[in-house]
Amino acid sequence: MTEIIVVTSGKGGVGKTTTSASLSCGLARKGKKVAVIDFDIGLRNLDLIMGCERRVVFDFVNVIQGDCTLKQALIKDKRLETLYVLAASQTRDKDALTTEGVRKVLDELIADGFDYILCDSPAGIEKGAHLAMYFADRAVVVVNPEVSSVRDSDRILGLLASKTERAEKGNGGVKEHLLLTRYSPRRVAAGEMLSVADVKEILGLDVIGVIPESTDVLTASNAGTPVILNEDSDVSEAYTDAVERLLGTELPLRFVDEQKKGFFARMFGG
Amino acid sequence: MNATADAARIAALDIRYGQVGLLQLKLRSTDPGAILDELTGKVATVPQFFRQTPICLDLAELAGEPDVAEMRGVIEAIRRCGMLVVGFAEGPASAALAKAMSLPVIAGFRPQNAAPRTVAAGVPTLAPAPAPAPPPQPLPALIHAQPVRSGQRIYARDRDLIVTASVGAAAEVMADGCVHIYGALRGRAMAGVRGDAGARVFTREFHAELVGVAGVFKVFEQLPADLAGQPVQAQLDGEELRFARLG
Repeated sequence: MTEIIVVTSGKGGVGKTTTSASLSCGLARKGKKVAVIDFDIGLRNLDLIMGCERRVVFDFVNVIQGDCTLKQALIKDKRLETLYVLAASQTRDKDALTTEGVRKVLDELIADGFDYILCDSPAGIEKGAHLAMYFADRAVVVVNPEVSSVRDSDRILGLLASKTERAEKGNGGVKEHLLLTRYSPRRVAAGEMLSVADVKEILGLDVIGVIPESTDVLTASNAGTPVILNEDSDVSEAYTDAVERLLGTELPLRFVDEQKKGFFARMFGG
Repeated sequence: MNATADAARIAALDIRYGQVGLLQLKLRSTDPGAILDELTGKVATVPQFFRQTPICLDLAELAGEPDVAEMRGVIEAIRRCGMLVVGFAEGPASAALAKAMSLPVIAGFRPQNAAPRTVAAGVPTLAPAPAPAPPPQPLPALIHAQPVRSGQRIYARDRDLIVTASVGAAAEVMADGCVHIYGALRGRAMAGVRGDAGARVFTREFHAELVGVAGVFKVFEQLPADLAGQPVQAQLDGEELRFARLG
């Protein structure tokens, strides 16, 4: 049974691609067979974050247009046996994606026995974003704790509830999860940032993960290593927890409160 | 004093080379009566065009070689129609006749040059036989002076492509001929897109993701140390794509 998960947000720059990369790695690390698809036609980034940009020969649009087979376009991850990347086309525009084309690719992945298909949505609410969410069973809505991101996520949640195949066919709708990124407990405490509770209340959804603000994310992106694989990092642990929750394990939220500096930290400036 | 000084400076003549349009008259008969009849009819339609018009005679379609007396009759008939024979078109029969009649042999008539002139004049029967299609002229290379950005594609159809800037990662440059990149190549370059196995890819700074010639591709997951950042050319050697440092 394949589950299609869309990672979306409406707003740009909140961490959709970082999240797609880390969740897909986390699921593959649990032994699941995972494909992660970049829907951002014309502005592809997932290949960079996954560190496979030099291995992209064929892309999603090539598969849809029949220039190559799906097998030729799927890039096997070098770190995880069961993880595959389908890159977006950089040279086409988003009109190259069609509902039927996307359906065909997803059906083939399902037939191929993938456990999870992650669809990395582009920002905005246009064609690419629409198609990324259209066939989804579940949605991870990535949100930053600030008002504009929350409003855009609200808009996206509205679309998830109406503009998806599940919504149209009345198959119980898409299961939605919230994932907060760039969360800084210190700034929440200072009243500069919305808290987890605020966001939860505004959007009325359960939170599947809270990813702390960290310089590790940028470092990992530049290195082409999904940040979840970066050992000894709060971000990696937070994403690992989110993967567990996706798989149904109940875990308390971590990294949501300001760390009280211990005696030694205070003595030596932590 | 001034007048003589000025006069001394002016040469008696200048010799210059120049091209002029010239009507050709292709003879199929040397009968002056027949020529006069046909020409009179044609001249009557556009008399201004034929008045004092220089004519080059083409003898290639005559059955036999005409003698000097015959030719004098022909030239006289043409003159009476208002035109002046100035020479013979180059051909097997022309040389001796031209010498005997003190007329030049005019060489190097290119059919594609002569045809439009006569056709434009509205006298298709005077035109030489339909000119063979001129050999295809190679198109000049497509020159692209701006950086080719990620996601851009440039295709030079039927010609070479010259990029005087860099080609970014995930950008694509293609040509039916060769691809020359005078900046860095960080994206994809394909030469001989429609099968020319002799086409090549050149770059001043090699960081390519993918290079192809005539459908044979190589993906660079890791750049070979001896090529990275170097001036490189790629060419097909049989079925194999070879890369070598330039210079």
